[in-house]
Amino acid sequence: MVSNTKEVRALDFDVERSAEEDRKLSFKDEVCIGCGICEKCGICEKGRRDAIELGDIGAIVRTDADESKICVDENKCVLCGMCSVSCPVDALEFTIDGESIKDMDVYPKLLSSAEIDEDTCIYCKACETACPREAITIARDLPERSQLVTGEIEIDKDTCINCGVCEEMCPADAITMDHKLPTSYDPTVSSDINVDTDKCVYCLVCKKACPVDAIKAVCRSCSYGEYDLNPEDSEIKGSSFIDDELCVRCGWCEEICPVDAAKVKKPFEGELTIDEDKCTTCGACVDICPCDVLSFPQPAEAGQMVDKVFKDEKYCIYCGACENVCPVEAIEVKRTAVDHTPTKSKSWESKMDSLKT
Amino acid sequence: MELKVNQDNCLGCGVCVVACPVNVSISPEVAGGHGSKTEEVIMMVENGVIKLFSEEKCTKCGTCQLFCPTDAIWLE
Repeated sequence: MVSNTKEVRALDFDVERSAEEDRKLSFKDEVCIGCGICEKCGICEKGRRDAIELGDIGAIVRTDADESKICVDENKCVLCGMCSVSCPVDALEFTIDGESIKDMDVYPKLLSSAEIDEDTCIYCKACETACPREAITIARDLPERSQLVTGEIEIDKDTCINCGVCEEMCPADAITMDHKLPTSYDPTVSSDINVDTDKCVYCLVCKKACPVDAIKAVCRSCSYGEYDLNPEDSEIKGSSFIDDELCVRCGWCEEICPVDAAKVKKPFEGELTIDEDKCTTCGACVDICPCDVLSFPQPAEAGQMVDKVFKDEKYCIYCGACENVCPVEAIEVKRTAVDHTPTKSKSWESKMDSLKT
Repeated sequence: MELKVNQDNCLGCGVCVVACPVNVSISPEVAGGHGSKTEEVIMMVENGVIKLFSEEKCTKCGTCQLFCPTDAIWLE
């Protein structure tokens, strides 16, 4: 299926005005998820100014159309900053004299975050694999294999007939032979056989397989226990990184984490409903959803009837992108709560409230 | 964006007619592979090639373009 991301292709734009203060709106197309919340633009009492128009998101995301996800009419835009405040993914940045209004206390700010607790994280990479925006990078240093299992191995080269059975069977590729063709001067098929003890896991397969019993090997962990292994040597070290620009706070990492190391705070609460009767399974919503909330269910056996589209609201941020893109109005997204920092301005307060649907 | 067709490329397979979610909701019988009973749909196969009837109904979801095997229908 198609994924709701685009390469950087210079579709970003800036709208600017400078008088006594310099106001600037910057748009990042590759961050934009095409939800259309910014279309409710305009802080003034007359309400919507319709300065922002959402593009044909279905076609833009699903085909290789080279078009910006939103368009701003510079003649209508009053540079109020509403679109920037309401954007759930920070695709629109609004600055006054070079300072982002996200950093100003007088402006409200949507409250959302995603964090991975380094002390709890076991670097299993489940979140990295699951993240629908590929925003997570887990770097990990695995312990040396030779520190986790110890033993002794010795090949009696005088007894060895250079048959190569141990080399072929060694699961860790620890045994190597120097194969050669025999000559009348040196009628042997191999000049040497060696064991790489960093690779050897002392499984004793070679010892059991050797037809002439030339290999002596013992696993120390099996014989004496693990007393001579240092638990610190088996520690997996690593680090986690969430790209704040790409992260949409969908909650996939929190849900999939086996040790509850990831915590996600979503900006909106709400409800997502799909009318199965209207749905024609065109897949536009599945492709557009930035959070992988929607998928097509697979029947477990032939002939089984399944739902047309499967949703799991655990991952939904109620951005409404699916509702906008659905060609047959089969999807409804309700936002029932908007979590934002407090503001003294009544008009901003009512505008933030208007993000509820 | 506009819905465009190139009849020279069209095989007349009708996949776009069936895949288009708007077509199917206007004329449900096309989902079963039958021809539409009404000309209210966005597109239909006529005389072996695709023809646009009510292109203003297109919501630009891109489904037809995804399924067309010959790039005969697209959004531009």
